[in-house]
Amino acid sequence: MSTRAGVDPRPAGDGPVLEARAVRKVFRTFERAPGLRGLIKNFVARDHVDIAALDGVDLRVERGESVGLIGANGAGKTTLVKILAGIVPASSGEARLLGRDSFDLRDAEKRRLALVMGQKSQLWWDLPPIDSFRLLKEIYGVSDADFGERLNRFASMLEVEDRLKIQLRQLSLGQRMKMEIIGAFLHSPEVVFLDEPTIGLDLISRETIRRFLIGLSEERAATFVLTSHDLEDIEETCRRIVVLDQGKVAFDGGLTDLSRRVTGKRAVEVHVHPGARIDEVALAAELSGFGAEVSGRSAGSLTVLVSADRLAALVPRLFTLLDVKDLSVERQPLEHLIREIYRRGVDGPAGGAV
Amino acid sequence: MSAAAARGPLLLLRMVAYEFRKRIQFRAGFVVREVLNGTVEPLVMLFVYTALYGSAASMASGADGGDEVVLGGWTYGEIIQYVAGLVVVRKLVFHNRALDLAPEIFEGRVTKYLVMPFRFFVLLQGRFLQFTLMQLAVATLAWCIGFALAPDYWLVPVSAGATLQAVTLVLMGSYCCFLVFFILNAMAFWLDVIWSLLVMAWFVIGFTGGALVPVSQMPEGMYGLLSYGFPYWMITAPIELLMGRLGTADFLHGAVLVGAQLLALDLLRRWVWRRGLARYVGAGM
Repeated sequence: MSTRAGVDPRPAGDGPVLEARAVRKVFRTFERAPGLRGLIKNFVARDHVDIAALDGVDLRVERGESVGLIGANGAGKTTLVKILAGIVPASSGEARLLGRDSFDLRDAEKRRLALVMGQKSQLWWDLPPIDSFRLLKEIYGVSDADFGERLNRFASMLEVEDRLKIQLRQLSLGQRMKMEIIGAFLHSPEVVFLDEPTIGLDLISRETIRRFLIGLSEERAATFVLTSHDLEDIEETCRRIVVLDQGKVAFDGGLTDLSRRVTGKRAVEVHVHPGARIDEVALAAELSGFGAEVSGRSAGSLTVLVSADRLAALVPRLFTLLDVKDLSVERQPLEHLIREIYRRGVDGPAGGAV
Repeated sequence: MSAAAARGPLLLLRMVAYEFRKRIQFRAGFVVREVLNGTVEPLVMLFVYTALYGSAASMASGADGGDEVVLGGWTYGEIIQYVAGLVVVRKLVFHNRALDLAPEIFEGRVTKYLVMPFRFFVLLQGRFLQFTLMQLAVATLAWCIGFALAPDYWLVPVSAGATLQAVTLVLMGSYCCFLVFFILNAMAFWLDVIWSLLVMAWFVIGFTGGALVPVSQMPEGMYGLLSYGFPYWMITAPIELLMGRLGTADFLHGAVLVGAQLLALDLLRRWVWRRGLARYVGAGM
C-alpha cells in the first residue's frame, strides 16, 4: 500500500484485522440480444461476458479502525465486503480476516465477526426481536449475564426498549434497523461490517444509530467497515475513507487527508437578492482569475468552489460582482470531494489517485 | 459432557423451538398446512378403488360368482386399511413446505447464516426435527380420530414391534426425503426453476412410494425395481408391516437399503452445498 502524506488515521495494532491483496472478483453473466431473433438465439446459445466487480484491490485494516467504504453503484464496495466477510470467494488474490482466509473461516473467527445489511434482515421476520436475540445468544454462546446487560444497554441507547416483544414485521423500518444493530453487537464482535445501515431511515433514526456506532467504536476499539451512500454517516463515524471506483481503490486515507489532497477547497454559498441580475460571462471570467468555479446553483443562490488560500481574496470580490444578500463559507462537503475523485479518475493504487 | 459438546444438541433444540414458533403463529395456516394436508389424496384413492373393486366384483360374480375379489394380491378390505395407513404415514413424510430453502438462496437470505459460528445445516435439521415431532402428534391424533370413527375399517397395527419398525422406516425415509429436497433446493445456486423440480420430485417420490397405488400391487417388474428405492420403504412397506403383510426380516432388509441411500444422499448433499456456496453471490445485499 502506498504511503500517504499527513496524519495516518490508523492506530497501531498487532497485525491487520482485514487484509485484501490484489483481490479480483469476476462475475460471469450473459448478454441478452434484443428482439425475437435475439430471444431465440439466446435460447440456443448464449454469449457470456465476464464483469470484473473488483479489479486488484489492496486493503489493510488494523484493529480499532473505522473505515468508510464509498463508491457509486456498481463500484464494488458491497462485493468487497462480501469477500472480506467470507460470504463469497474472490476469483483471484487473497482476502484475510483475523489472519485467516476469509472464505475458510472457522467458528472461532466467525464468533468475532458481525454483519449488518441495511437491505436484508438479519433477524427472523416472523418472530419478535427478543426471540431472535435469544437464538443469537445460543449461536454465539453469550452468557446470560452478558446477554442481559448488553441487551438492556443497547435497547436503551437505541430507544427501543418497548419494542423488543413485537413481531419484527410489525416494526417500522427505523426500529427494525435498530434491532438489527442490537443483534449484531450482542456477542461483542471485534470486526463489524455495516452495509448501508441507515438506508431509508429518517434523520432522527440515522442520528441515533450514528451516535450508537460512534459510542461503541470508542468504547470497544472494534474494527468497523461501513459502506453507505449517505456520506454524513461516513464523515461522522469513520476516520479513514476508501473510495472504490470501477472495482479499484481510487483513494485510501483520512478524511482531512482526502480534503487536503484532492482539492483543499472551500464552498462559498452566496445568496443573492430576489430578481438580482447575474452577468454570467463576467462572473465566470472573474472567478477563473481566482481559480474558482461555480459548482452548484439553485433559485436565488449559487455555490462557488475556491482554494482555501484564495478564499480571503475572493470573498470581497464576490460582494462587488453580485448583489449579495447573505454568504456562508464551509469546508467542501464530502460529496464534492468524491465527485472530484470520480471526475479526475483512477490513476493508480490506493492513495495515488489524487 | 463439555460445554462445547453440549452446545450442539442445545442449539438444535433451540432451532426446533424457533421453527415451532414460526409454524404455529398463524392458526389458520397451521391447521390447513400441518393438519389437513395430505387428507384429500387418500379420499380420491378410496373413491377410485371402490369403483375398481366394484367393477371387478360384478365381472367376477357374472363369471364364477362368490369369491372375494383380489387385485394384484390385495383385497378390497386390505386396500381400505392401506388407505387408512396412508393417511397416517404421509403425515410423517417430510414435505418441502417445511424446508423452503430455495427462496432463501435466491433472495440472499442465507447470507446472515454464513457469517454465524454454526453449521447452517443445523438450522435445517431443526426444521426436520420440528416437522417430525409435530407430525408425530398430528399423525397420532389422525389415527385416534380414524379409529374412533370407523373402528371396523381402520388400520390397527398387528403389534407394538411392527409399529416401531414401521415408524423407524418412515422416519428414515422421511430423512431421505429431507435430503432430496435439500439437494433440489440447493440447485437454486444454479437454476431458477426449483419450484417445478420440487413439485415433480414430490409426485415421483409419492408415486414410487405407493401414495397412489401400493407398490406391491404394481406389475411384478415395476415392484421389483421400486422396492430398492427408499420411497417404497417409506410408504408401502411400513403400512404392510403394520398390516402384518411384511415381517422383521423385511424390516431389516429395508433398513439396510434405506440407510445406505441416506448416507449416499448425505454425501451428495455436502458436495452440492459446497459447490453451490462457491457460486453464491449474496443477491440483494
